[in-house]
Amino acid sequence: MTDHGMAVGTPVLESVGPVTFGPGDVLFVADNRRAAVVAIDVADPAPAAAGEPFDLEDLDAKLASYLGCAVKDVSIRDLAVHPRTHNVYLSVMRGSGDAARPVIIRIDRADGTVSALSLDAVAWSEVAITDAPAIDDERLETSLAEGDEGEEMTFGDRTFRIVRAPVRMATVTDLKYVDGTLLVAGLSNEEFASTLRRIPFPFTGDVASTGLEIFHVSHGQWETAAPIRTFVPYQGGTSILASYTCTPLVHFPLGDLQPGAKARGRTVAELGSGNTPLDIVSFTREGEEFLLVSHTSHPLMKIACSDIDGQEPLTEPREPVGVPRQLPELQGIGRMDNLNGDYVLAIQRDERGGRHLRSLKTAGL
Amino acid sequence: MGQRPVLRLEWGERAGQACLRVSRAGTNGPIDAEQLRVYPTDVAASGTAGLPPMTGRRGTDGNGAWFVPRFGFMPGTSYTVVCEGDAASLDRPAAPGEPTTTVLAIYPSTPALPRNHLRVYVHFSAPMSEGCALAHVHVRDAATREELAGALLETTEELWDRERRRLTLLFDPGRIKRGLVPQRQAGYPLVPGRPVELLVDAGFRDALGLPLAAGSVRTYDVGPDLRGHVDPASWALRPPEVGTRAPLVVDFDRPLDHGLLVHSLSVTGPDGARVPGVIGAGPEERSWAFAPARPWAPGAYRLDVDHRLEDVAGNSVARVFDRDLSDPCDNPRPEEPARLRFVIA
Repeated sequence: MTDHGMAVGTPVLESVGPVTFGPGDVLFVADNRRAAVVAIDVADPAPAAAGEPFDLEDLDAKLASYLGCAVKDVSIRDLAVHPRTHNVYLSVMRGSGDAARPVIIRIDRADGTVSALSLDAVAWSEVAITDAPAIDDERLETSLAEGDEGEEMTFGDRTFRIVRAPVRMATVTDLKYVDGTLLVAGLSNEEFASTLRRIPFPFTGDVASTGLEIFHVSHGQWETAAPIRTFVPYQGGTSILASYTCTPLVHFPLGDLQPGAKARGRTVAELGSGNTPLDIVSFTREGEEFLLVSHTSHPLMKIACSDIDGQEPLTEPREPVGVPRQLPELQGIGRMDNLNGDYVLAIQRDERGGRHLRSLKTAGL
Repeated sequence: MGQRPVLRLEWGERAGQACLRVSRAGTNGPIDAEQLRVYPTDVAASGTAGLPPMTGRRGTDGNGAWFVPRFGFMPGTSYTVVCEGDAASLDRPAAPGEPTTTVLAIYPSTPALPRNHLRVYVHFSAPMSEGCALAHVHVRDAATREELAGALLETTEELWDRERRRLTLLFDPGRIKRGLVPQRQAGYPLVPGRPVELLVDAGFRDALGLPLAAGSVRTYDVGPDLRGHVDPASWALRPPEVGTRAPLVVDFDRPLDHGLLVHSLSVTGPDGARVPGVIGAGPEERSWAFAPARPWAPGAYRLDVDHRLEDVAGNSVARVFDRDLSDPCDNPRPEEPARLRFVIA
């Protein structure tokens, strides 16, 4: 056993999705095909980094070339910056279907070198992200098939065609680590619910009691428990700002989120139609904390945390509604992470669709 | 990039893995494997400057060299080998085979959807490729064939079952939940009285990378909103005769979610133990049938209903999709199984 309750071996990933760093060299990787989160000690050999920016042009082409495939076969799922070395880690799916290969890419901040993390003989552990079983899951994984699907089964004098019913699965949409706890937001492939899991790390294997539901209210009138798409802890991990599949930005104190609890978040901003928040990061500038929200169609948005604290729950539906936000005129920003105290690292898509790594100077935002 | 035919390339195999063999055409000059660089041809079309070469192992074999990629060659992709100033390209054959995968079913199987419809399932006959579902599933106006842009929710992580044979899609909840800005700006994705069709186009790739044998389409009328809790007390149970293996049939007051329906109901017998058997969703997901493994014994039975069972608009036994805080009827109900009793006599 090594630190953090991890054993040395070879984790078998079937997919890679959202990633985030935990303590030390621990990278948490969501493997949504297996409905699991894997903690991997990346043993980053680089020295501690200082506060320089890091940019990399033509990220897509470099990844495609290294992985030996067309650019269209590279799917960048998420980005995380190593907190000590500031090397950049990307979760990437290369190809799709049976040919898909999950890869954790490391980009050396010093020279831009691309490499794939070897998973041979690494310290690792994992936790299954299963939904609480339905009342009949152990038995009713079969159902009557339609047409000629499935296989025949005979009960006494009756013959049925049987097909295994698809299993209810949780798909991790975002995950963050705060003080010994991994927070995991997920979408169910069957149920519309807002389950945020608080999973202690080192993993103990028991996540059944870690789920909690977070409701949010629209304009004091309609209440929903919608799934969280992306979120960020801030104010030292005591507060969380989350974006929901139905678009509002909702604040709640982490202290409210006890296992089994039902917390009610405070809607602090609405973002309008035809747009989906992609990622949220927090940064501090001259003692004041801000959040950056990237979107599918809106430009990057900056929100002062003090404005969130002062924002009354929204009761009037009008656009724009909620906390004041500034638009630093940056288009095409996707996944982000804090590079260092002065920069946020982002994947930026240009007008031609090519993607690049860009350091955004927080003093200029 | 120069394409002088100085290098001869051919596909080979090393220890069960595909490899590229490289030799010099017309001469017996040796190849320095350390100088070998492999690139996807399209990616390197405007030069290899700044590009990392494809990662893999290399070595020499007689006068030739070999390259085994760390992540395999992609079918249908051209590769360019650069070595000591020479370059040559070779195409990796495309995946063989004829398209055979089909759409088995699209749920709901009802002729109509409520305006606030939430979830769609597409069942495929074989495992599928992930990552481009929304490019191949379309909601269109049935009359004009015009795509209803933004009707379905984009998710970075697609919702598949373990086998990647069932895809779950959601209509944009931001346009369904009452009171939100997207709902007020863009309105419901569906409009009562305007039929829509859900089209899965044949370009959807299966796990082998092959397109579907055929696309599939299901047309729906659009009706009014579906609101209120799923209420098992309003269901009708049709108990079978004692001593038979005839199914218990439960008729619902509304169509229920197909995915949840096959997980959410179970039968407990007079002895307090679950009754083994097989279940099936009925036509249009308006009923549920349970056939026991052994003939029905006489006695008092119980049907347990998971409180998470939802209708097609996301209303469950315990709570409604968007609760009107001013309407007590929308108040949450206990998060425990609902129990319906029936007697086999």
